[in-house]
Amino acid sequence: MFCPQCGASNADNAVACVQCGRSLQAGTIAATPLPATGVVIPPGATVPNYLVFAILTTVFCCLPTGIPAIIYAAQVNGKLQAGDYTGAQAASGNAKMWCWISFGLGLASVAVSMLLFMLGILGNLHHH
Amino acid sequence: MRRSHLLAAALVTASVGAVTLWFFDPASSGVFPACPLRYLTGLYCPGCGSLRAIHQLLHGNLAAAWAMNPLAVVLLPFLSYELASEALSVWRGRGLPQMFLPAAWIWGLCAVIVLFGVVRNLPVHPFDLLAPGAMFRP
Repeated sequence: MFCPQCGASNADNAVACVQCGRSLQAGTIAATPLPATGVVIPPGATVPNYLVFAILTTVFCCLPTGIPAIIYAAQVNGKLQAGDYTGAQAASGNAKMWCWISFGLGLASVAVSMLLFMLGILGNLHHH
Repeated sequence: MRRSHLLAAALVTASVGAVTLWFFDPASSGVFPACPLRYLTGLYCPGCGSLRAIHQLLHGNLAAAWAMNPLAVVLLPFLSYELASEALSVWRGRGLPQMFLPAAWIWGLCAVIVLFGVVRNLPVHPFDLLAPGAMFRP
């Protein structure tokens, strides 16, 4: 079957979408706890892994803080594979946090660079 | 903040970035601020050269882009697809078809990124070819 939310292909008996974590079983079945963890997956819930954001910050903004975000993204998918929905959510939260830390650092470093750049221009003007 | 606001902000940023990158080459123009890490330590991070690579790609120079940052060139199509999917899912409620990345693949990708960042700083042939622009000196 295909996930109604993200369109990912899933096994016909899948409990939650492997890509976005949305519950794939309607009605009474969705409220059944997972045998492995006893966790109830709320219908329509998602577990994003923020991998794209993490790679963007690491490779296109040169920020080492993107690395923990990638590691947590891997954990999100690993825990989803293991059926650990709560663990996946926790890892997802951490991935998100590191993405925003990276984003903030990126903004800050651009601001500092701009400032230094402008100070440089002012310095040159003064020199002439 | 709502997702649609985030999307709008991202689209505006990406468009402004692409137009700026088309007109100005980060390698020579001085419009783009120097990378703080490179400035302070002299090291190339895994993303070093990615803006210069995008500039070259926008002008159709794949070889020059590849020389600047092969990792960025490889990742860019996937990231573009994902960002397009994200935009579509906000806009019409459904993204593009996705495949689940097994955790092992993401760990592998993470290892590749870190290793690439280490190896391109080695002053030993052939690893020195991975430094930005080293492969392409016309």
